[in-house]
Amino acid sequence: MALALAFMTIITFIQVVLRYVFGTGLVWSLEATTYTFAWLVLIGMSYGVRTRAHIAVDLFSNRLPFGARRAMGVTVSGLCLLYCGFMVYGSTMFIDGLFSLGNNARDIPLPRWLLIGIMPIAFLLLAFRFLQAMRRMLARDDKDQILKKVPVSTAIGQERKIKIVKSR
Amino acid sequence: MSAIFLLIALFFCLLVGVPVAVSLGLASITTMLLFADQSLLSLAQRFFHTMQVYPLLAVPFFVLAGTFMTTGGVAKRMIDFANALVGRFQGGLAMAAVLACAFFAAVSGSSPATVVAVGSVMVAGMVSSGYTKPFAAGVICNAGTLGILIPPSIVMVVYGAVTESSIGHLFMAGVVPGILLTLALMATISVIARRQGMPRQPSVSWRVTLRAGREAIWGLLLIVIIMGGIYLGIFTPTEAAAVSAVYAFLIALFVYKDIGLSDVPKVLTDSAKVSTMLMFIIANAYLFAFVLTTEQIPQATSEWLNSLGLPWWGFLLVLNILLLAAGNFMDPTSVVLILTPIVFPIAIEMGIDPIHLGVIMVLNMEIGLVSPPVGLNLFVTAGVADMTMEQVIRAALPWLMVLLSVLMIVTYVPSISLALPAWLGWGNG
Repeated sequence: MALALAFMTIITFIQVVLRYVFGTGLVWSLEATTYTFAWLVLIGMSYGVRTRAHIAVDLFSNRLPFGARRAMGVTVSGLCLLYCGFMVYGSTMFIDGLFSLGNNARDIPLPRWLLIGIMPIAFLLLAFRFLQAMRRMLARDDKDQILKKVPVSTAIGQERKIKIVKSR
Repeated sequence: MSAIFLLIALFFCLLVGVPVAVSLGLASITTMLLFADQSLLSLAQRFFHTMQVYPLLAVPFFVLAGTFMTTGGVAKRMIDFANALVGRFQGGLAMAAVLACAFFAAVSGSSPATVVAVGSVMVAGMVSSGYTKPFAAGVICNAGTLGILIPPSIVMVVYGAVTESSIGHLFMAGVVPGILLTLALMATISVIARRQGMPRQPSVSWRVTLRAGREAIWGLLLIVIIMGGIYLGIFTPTEAAAVSAVYAFLIALFVYKDIGLSDVPKVLTDSAKVSTMLMFIIANAYLFAFVLTTEQIPQATSEWLNSLGLPWWGFLLVLNILLLAAGNFMDPTSVVLILTPIVFPIAIEMGIDPIHLGVIMVLNMEIGLVSPPVGLNLFVTAGVADMTMEQVIRAALPWLMVLLSVLMIVTYVPSISLALPAWLGWGNG
């Protein structure tokens, strides 16, 4: 992920430099950047589930007793799985259509189905992570501290808060 | 019918705690399947295309630039500079804290990051020079919200991309309200400081001020590059973001030397994670907007509002209340993404300038960040200042009044936001 972001940044930067200093440009740079970004996001989605980076409204679930919270957690993972199912199905059809068309991307000499082919795979991965979350949720018992602790609502806040607490 | 289903599905998902991104996506997909003859294929197609919307590429780049700047000791240098400038007045340290937040906001596009960067130094500093802790925390918590108003601002990039308004234009429009808010906060501090006899800092010579300025200038140049570059047409906002990321990297590594090469992978991974999470929400929000448009929901709402005969100022008042309420429960980007497709067409029909609307939305989101129960800045301040949530909420409340009055002024005097871009020759709209 780090490499992908660095690649995008550098390519775009070079593009600006080339345009002003040398008066030329790379034809493929824009497309390369946008496809890299798409890949980054798609792969990053499941990483986000693993590191609990996704934002959710946790205002109400925090106030519930343990049993209800667990039921809620399972429902949430179930709904997320449903979402993944829809997206896997939709993107597979999308790829299928592109495959039979067989055309290449505009500026990159690769077929489009290959470039977009990451999409169903990414959503399968995402589904796998949600399945894991669901299993964890089901396995938890009353004594589980993580489930009782008040989570902070967003990714940035969460991360910084942990850092601050640690540093103290 | 479909509208009601869409909104109920969305709110149900949000309330039970489904991640915002998935809530948006799931509500849109199910509505589409039940009420419209759009296939899953076309939704998947849309999802992928959103990730290739060029202006949105500015998001990861600005996040990256902000992370480089936050990791380094940039905040420390800006605090020193702000202190040298206004420390000599009564209540000077508190004013310096506000000013430092404003400076820092100009290199980072995020409010919580501003609170952490400035607050971790300034809260302790203010307490040790005789301010009460609630006062210090309240000041930082509210001044930190400047992060999303003063460009570069990630919320503005998102708004600009969703509404297809000019991001450069939005950035320019944020400048004057940002300065106004900074001055309002500083003026309030000054009044309180006089009344309560708060301490002043020893005044410093111009030479010291200049030196502090020179130290801080490398960080502050970032905003000059972004704004100047966009204004002069040297590069697009997205390219400006990439250039500023590279610039922030060079400054942090070679000029300030706060981080080493070995820290770079971590900065990259952190930024990638934050931008991925934002983008996942954005891509799903585009699905949501797509459903709204095909079901003609904004038009229906607009007609209904027209039938009520609401004047434009009445609409803005309702809009402010709606945004404030939503901002209390969700983070700024999500609120902007969910509400913009609904209110934007209505506002345009009422003759409200899209850029002005953007500034109003951002200001509302700022207030949402510091109002209970889930204002993100409150959490972060509680962490930085080592206080409980209740204490921070009470400390932040009086300052909220300042933010609210600025919001009212900016809402009803459009020229505050629009004068600068217009003067620079970008016209209205």
